Amino acid sequence: MVDPEQFKSKIRELIYQDHEIEFLGKNFDKIVGLLTDIKTEKIYQWIQKVLEEEIQPILIGSKRLYKDWTINQLLIFRYPLNVNNTEYRIMFVKIKNSFYVEFHLGDHNYYDSVRKQLDLKKTQH
Amino acid sequence: MTVIYTPEKIIKERIKQAEDILQEIPVKNCFITGSFLHKQNYKDIDVFVITRTKKKIEVKKRKVKIAKIDFNDLYSLFYHSVSKNCVSKNILPQRQLKVTLADYWHVINEAVPSVLNKGTKISKEIRSLILYTEYFKTGQVLDTTQLDQKINQFKDHHKILEYVEKEIPLIICKNRKRSYLKRFFYTQAGHYKELISYRAQKFLYDLTHLIARGFVDG
Repeated sequence: MVDPEQFKSKIRELIYQDHEIEFLGKNFDKIVGLLTDIKTEKIYQWIQKVLEEEIQPILIGSKRLYKDWTINQLLIFRYPLNVNNTEYRIMFVKIKNSFYVEFHLGDHNYYDSVRKQLDLKKTQH
Repeated sequence: MTVIYTPEKIIKERIKQAEDILQEIPVKNCFITGSFLHKQNYKDIDVFVITRTKKKIEVKKRKVKIAKIDFNDLYSLFYHSVSKNCVSKNILPQRQLKVTLADYWHVINEAVPSVLNKGTKISKEIRSLILYTEYFKTGQVLDTTQLDQKINQFKDHHKILEYVEKEIPLIICKNRKRSYLKRFFYTQAGHYKELISYRAQKFLYDLTHLIARGFVDG
């Protein structure tokens, strides 16, 4: 069982930046608590690859506002994971040429609601 | 009343099993599609439920994966595809297909990073990419079996990207009906240009250029 606070600390440590990243998601801590050590390690490895620009982001050419930014300023990195036969998604959001601002973790409904805010089309299962 | 769409493609013994699963679901419009119906070896049983309910729907069988379809999705290419070849609890609602080039570009924009990230794994985004491309290329909505067959023609992600590079500029230039499309692709190119250190955005940048050049060359 993974401790949510340790999980967040490890991510902060990996990205190592001045800006405070936000951890968001319905039942975030509960989902982290369900992760095995292997799955957690894979998430850290994936983050490392994001930092090394090995993972390709999604860029949406929309001028709509999302919090303090326009959507076309944001890069979105996605990571799907399956825990106990339930699909979850991580969305890691970065400002173009700048900080990582958000780390979302949630189920399909949560993922669809964040997608909507980011002007991404609804997923088709 | 069970309704079987395209029965010739379905393994006969699976029909009864599909009916039993559908009977467990307390919703009028639900159906089973995918590999369970047409392959001896299957990974999951894909069940779609057309409903507004937010309640979680569960059935006993382990491999069953339930996905909800909203009533607004009945116009989508996805629904038209998955419902073409299926076992349904009742007659499925029919709506006219509504697909735009802007929807198609959204699919391409998400699928290209996914192709490059996944390597050989086929994701939902890649399935959508091929479904949309074949629709705009031929006017045909592929059912799940046809889509699987098409996907199996690609040996690896390089082949998918080659297909994208070859087909998409032709499709978009052929379907150009509104002058804003040209402006749209120049604007998109501008967004990608700042991020060409990423392979996906470099690919999309080059693709928008190929499309824009198609407008110039006619």
